[in-house]
Amino acid sequence: MKTDRSQMKRASNAALFSLLNLTVFPVISFVALLFMYLKTEPNTIDRYYVALGIKTNVFAGVALIVMTTLMIVLGGFDSPWTWVFVVSYFVFIHALFILFATWALINAFMDR
Amino acid sequence: MKYESQGIAKMYFIAAIGLFLGQILFGVTMGLQYVMGDFLFPEIPFNVARMVHTNLLIVWLLFGFMGSAYYLVPEEAERELFAPWLAKLMFWIFLVAGALTILGYLLVPYARLAELTMNDLLPTMGREFLEQPTITKIGIVIVALAFIFNIGMTILQGRKTVINLVLLTGLVGLAVFFLFSFYNPDNIVLDKYFWWFVVHLWVEGVWELIMASLLAYVLIKVTGVDREVIEKWLYIIIAMALISGLIGTGHHFFWIGTPGYWQWLGSIFSALEPIPFFMMTLFAFNVVNKRRRDHPNKAAVLWALGTAVMAFLGAGVWGFLHTLAPVNYYTHGTQITAAHGHMAFYGAYVMVVLTMISYSMPLMRGKKAANETAQKLEIRAFWMMTLSMVAITLLLTGAGIMQVYLQRYSEDAMPFMAVQDELVNFYWLREIAGFTFLAGLLLYIYSFFAKGREVADVE
Repeated sequence: MKTDRSQMKRASNAALFSLLNLTVFPVISFVALLFMYLKTEPNTIDRYYVALGIKTNVFAGVALIVMTTLMIVLGGFDSPWTWVFVVSYFVFIHALFILFATWALINAFMDR
Repeated sequence: MKYESQGIAKMYFIAAIGLFLGQILFGVTMGLQYVMGDFLFPEIPFNVARMVHTNLLIVWLLFGFMGSAYYLVPEEAERELFAPWLAKLMFWIFLVAGALTILGYLLVPYARLAELTMNDLLPTMGREFLEQPTITKIGIVIVALAFIFNIGMTILQGRKTVINLVLLTGLVGLAVFFLFSFYNPDNIVLDKYFWWFVVHLWVEGVWELIMASLLAYVLIKVTGVDREVIEKWLYIIIAMALISGLIGTGHHFFWIGTPGYWQWLGSIFSALEPIPFFMMTLFAFNVVNKRRRDHPNKAAVLWALGTAVMAFLGAGVWGFLHTLAPVNYYTHGTQITAAHGHMAFYGAYVMVVLTMISYSMPLMRGKKAANETAQKLEIRAFWMMTLSMVAITLLLTGAGIMQVYLQRYSEDAMPFMAVQDELVNFYWLREIAGFTFLAGLLLYIYSFFAKGREVADVE
């Protein structure tokens, strides 16, 4: 895998956008990640981090939005048990995705 | 261990662990009282068990902070402690005063304890976490002043580093903010202001400085990363902690008779409060990734990383969960608060003290790190306690959401005690998690006595 400084910078930015999509700038950051994907080449470190960011956020989207929607549909909007599971699940899983994105960001900063 | 006087930390750590065990025993007792209301009644009523559980937490964490400071400061200042005898004397005074206070809670009705300790001369008793008799509070101030004098003089006469100055700032803040506990206005709203000036400005203010400096110290030691790198992180973390945490006190002022602007101030500033905890996670992973050595004390590295992650989850995420005023309108004072309290205290403060103990105890016993068996047991204890605490938090969160729904959100709202009956399954599961935590703690204590092959000293 060939690497240079600009690729490492792009890799760090990709990891940062991945984290931002999970926290303060959802959707916009994901669009930015998709654009970054087009600018990268296969078998490079920046492509790896852009792809990791996209995968992480797609998984997060499924795990958070799809699963919680399913819980609400299956459990019923007016059932307290639905909200027990939805809120606990969403907060905990969301936090784990943020921690994973943080770990990826640190590795990108470390040029790994 | 470079300086002989660092060894004083050992007695503080042993007392801290002993009191920690006491705290958890009262915790599981209370857990049972949630589901078996008459358990140990009238010998240990729920309100007394709760008071002992929370007071022991505060006292053992203070022992832990003091022990950590006595270990850290001489090494950072590059000199022996200013007055080791004073540190030993204060240890015994604090331990005896603490034990007498707990015995007072357990053996005498609270109102009688107030009479016996002449609370009417300077009334300070009767407030959550600050239930100590006035005479005990005066004792705490004396111990704190002697401790700060000792630590301060050591630093002033020695090398001043960012770590020991941040630690000193945190410890001075701890002592200063405790003074608000002596002011007990008749107006209950005003009283809450000053009460939170102690409780909040401790745990979401100056204790964060103590935590960050202890974590920074251990990370320097176990990773060998340049001090300059760690100091830069430390500056930013403490700045963010104070910027967000001081006005963030406002999140305690919702719905208690204070002006409405606190809803805005409290919401905005406390929404920023996860940032320093998030930065601590970044900081810890960053530093461990940059490490120049593989320290033989794997358990200490795990505790350090665990502190950063669990503090972020407990104090940051679970705090944010119910800190915005429109959410807090429903969640104020429910089991969601208890969920946040448990994970935040464990993640931020229990774990940072255990990190310091894990790092320094082997050194005080003349070894670089505990033997292989002891470390394996300690790591197992880490996971048992940490996963149990995650389970306790999730179960209390579930109970809290159910409570909010049935008691406050539903059009057909139920009364408090009727709702508690609905939560009994959560409380049983929480109790199981509590016993698992206790088992983890016993394993942790046992690990200090475990024999095994010494680890290779690879620097």
